Amino acid sequence: MRTIKALKADVLFQLKQGFYIVYIVLILIYMLIISQLPSDASKIAIPLIIFGDPSIVGFFFIGGIVMLEKIQGVLQYIVVTPLRIREYLLSKIISLSILGEIAGIIIGATTYRESINWLLLMVGILISSVFFTLLGFLTVTRSDSVNEYFIDMIPYMFIGILPCFSLIDFPYNWLFNIFPSVLGLRLIFGAFYGISAANVSFFIISGIITNILLFNYTENVFENRIVYGGESK
Amino acid sequence: MIRVSEMDFTYEKSKKKAIKGINFNIEKGEIFGFLGPSGAGKTTTQRILIGLLRGYQGSVEIMGKERRMLSKDFFENIGVAFDFPNLYQKLTAIENLKLIGSYYKNNCLNIDELLERVGLLGDKDKKVEGFSKGMKMRLNFIRSIMHDPEILFFDEPTSGLDPINAKIVKDMIVELKERGKTVFLTTHNMTVAEQLCDRVAFIVDGGIPVIDRPDNLKLKYGKHTVKVKYVENNVLKKEEFPMDSISHNSNFFQILKSKNIKTIHSQEATLEDIFIKLTGRELL
Ligand SMILES: Nc1ncnc2c1ncn2[C@@H]1O[C@H](COP(=O)(O)OP(=O)(O)OP(=O)(O)O)[C@@H](O)[C@H]1O
Ligand SMILES: [Mg+2]
Repeated sequence: MRTIKALKADVLFQLKQGFYIVYIVLILIYMLIISQLPSDASKIAIPLIIFGDPSIVGFFFIGGIVMLEKIQGVLQYIVVTPLRIREYLLSKIISLSILGEIAGIIIGATTYRESINWLLLMVGILISSVFFTLLGFLTVTRSDSVNEYFIDMIPYMFIGILPCFSLIDFPYNWLFNIFPSVLGLRLIFGAFYGISAANVSFFIISGIITNILLFNYTENVFENRIVYGGESK
Repeated sequence: MIRVSEMDFTYEKSKKKAIKGINFNIEKGEIFGFLGPSGAGKTTTQRILIGLLRGYQGSVEIMGKERRMLSKDFFENIGVAFDFPNLYQKLTAIENLKLIGSYYKNNCLNIDELLERVGLLGDKDKKVEGFSKGMKMRLNFIRSIMHDPEILFFDEPTSGLDPINAKIVKDMIVELKERGKTVFLTTHNMTVAEQLCDRVAFIVDGGIPVIDRPDNLKLKYGKHTVKVKYVENNVLKKEEFPMDSISHNSNFFQILKSKNIKTIHSQEATLEDIFIKLTGRELL
């Protein structure tokens, strides 16, 4: 299958470009921070870090990866191969989600002393990781340089992060449960502190639907800007 | 293989037409050259045929189907070498080929053989970032043919290559044609066009004033003369005679008999001269 082939290409590319080294350093830094916290604080910090890590990876790594592919011109070549845009997007999402899962499991297993619902943790990471990677894609299709990326990123960053404050109780805060970042965060907290089965199923379904819609939108934007980019430049 | 009729194209953010109602056909097994100065519309036409620009007017038929109706499977049978080598810099030559090659259904041609042919076999495990421009262009070239496609698009295939490597690439293009592949290439370089192309189209300002075989063009528009240089009273003199009436040109024979001849050359117009004559434009 072409998506698997593309995944192989992505892993090799990320490895050779040094993304995995950066990632290992990042995980070590998280673990160092957690080990310095008093145990009360770390109980809150661990789920937050496990949530925050794939979002940062999704956002910045995808930006770096696609930017490098643009600069090297590889992206220009990929669009004249049989690889579909959706396969291209999917393989990148899978590669970064796997990173997020591995990091989440390592951080959870090495720092948290009580029990964790691992399956729930992994689902939570997946939902938020896919969401942030898609936001990262939307940003990078706009920008032609790293500097532009950091500016174009701001609105998408808000879309991803701001709704997460709805975890603090206030009227109608459930309205924010359409954001996969909120859902991912709730599921991850659920993996640590418990969560009702009804909520789990609702959050997962809601997260999947939003992510699929966003995926289709991203595919469209990507096709218009990258494949047929020459039309409007 | 390719039929283009009354094709018009205007870039979205521009008011004037980049392509103005052009017509041409390319047959299977033909090398077709697009020649023209910078900004004439070569890349634009090529990008429309490849399918990277939408919204053209008129008709573009490839392998019997309208371009805009073709799916992504079309690319299984297409090979493209852009004029800029777009390769994974941190990956080796062989990784570059294998990763991209894995996206095609066709089994790839023997990659080592291709690398050997363009003199890169010894460098196959080196990272592309350390390659010279010419090495990158050669890798770029074989990447476009490794999945054995039916139609090939080459944008300036010999630019950045030294004469020896340019010759290798030109030979390989001719071999593709001999194997029945259809080649569409663009170039500024008239010598390349003359050596390779079965037919050439001159493109200027988005229009095609001339399409013909290079030898026909030379026959039709080239001046065909004989230039004689001889020494008389210690001075080098030269004289030119039209080829078609040479057999009964008494002046010519007189010189041959009585003068101290230094050189005799037949003169042919180059494709470049004909281009300038027909379009009023310089190439480049
Ligand atoms: N993205 C674009 N947006 C608007 N106009 C464009 C764009 N690309 C090219 N053009 C214009 O279209 C015309 C044809 O350009 P094209 O790139 O096809 O020329 P070319 O023959 O390939 O030239 P070169 O030999 O320099 O590669 C030019 O007038 C150019 O300015
Ligand atoms: Mg061009």
